[in-house]
Amino acid sequence: MEKKPRNRTASEQGLWLVIVGLAAWIVPGAGHWLIRERKRAVILFAVITGLFVTGLYIGSVGVVDWVGGRIWFYAQILCSPAVGILGNITQNGQYPAYGRPCDIGQLYTGIAGLLNLLCILSAVYMAYCGRGEMIGREDEDHG
Amino acid sequence: MAEWAPLLAALTAPEPIGMDAVSMLWMFPLVAAIAMVYKATKMRVLFLRRFLIESLVLFATVSGFMIMAILVLNLLSWLVTG
Repeated sequence: MEKKPRNRTASEQGLWLVIVGLAAWIVPGAGHWLIRERKRAVILFAVITGLFVTGLYIGSVGVVDWVGGRIWFYAQILCSPAVGILGNITQNGQYPAYGRPCDIGQLYTGIAGLLNLLCILSAVYMAYCGRGEMIGREDEDHG
Repeated sequence: MAEWAPLLAALTAPEPIGMDAVSMLWMFPLVAAIAMVYKATKMRVLFLRRFLIESLVLFATVSGFMIMAILVLNLLSWLVTG
């Protein structure tokens, strides 16, 4: 039996899950931060952002290409909506990305996005289970 | 802002990476990241020391399996073409 926070109505709980999911998408790890899983949040932010930036370093920002590499772009944008802004900047093709560096860069950035999807689902599930919630006034007083 | 310029410039051109076997080493940071994120989401309570050990074990397991796969595929290739 999952523990749910007692003080929220069903609609408030739904809204909370949406907020956690959106936060986790906008900044990797922010969803876990909101539900007070601070250590987890810092690790996820550092690893996912590091992986994404490494991908950009290897292949250049040109690996984010929603014209020529649309399938990769769908995976990359899961990392953050900011990737969409990057896609707009690179859409004219002024940043070169080719050969093996492009392959590795796309792989790194795409997997960073997919790992963030895993984190979004994890944060929403933990929020649904009531992780980080005070259970009642008594716990709050003694916690 | 000027001190950020070289950093940003590093992201505008691809790094020189060849098509040789050494380029396969780029899989290790990727495997490490996957192991860390997987363990960070899976562990019910996150103790830093235990997290690092479990991530390291997963990293070693996945890396070992991939190295074995590379060796088997190379052996097969050598047997077929050699």
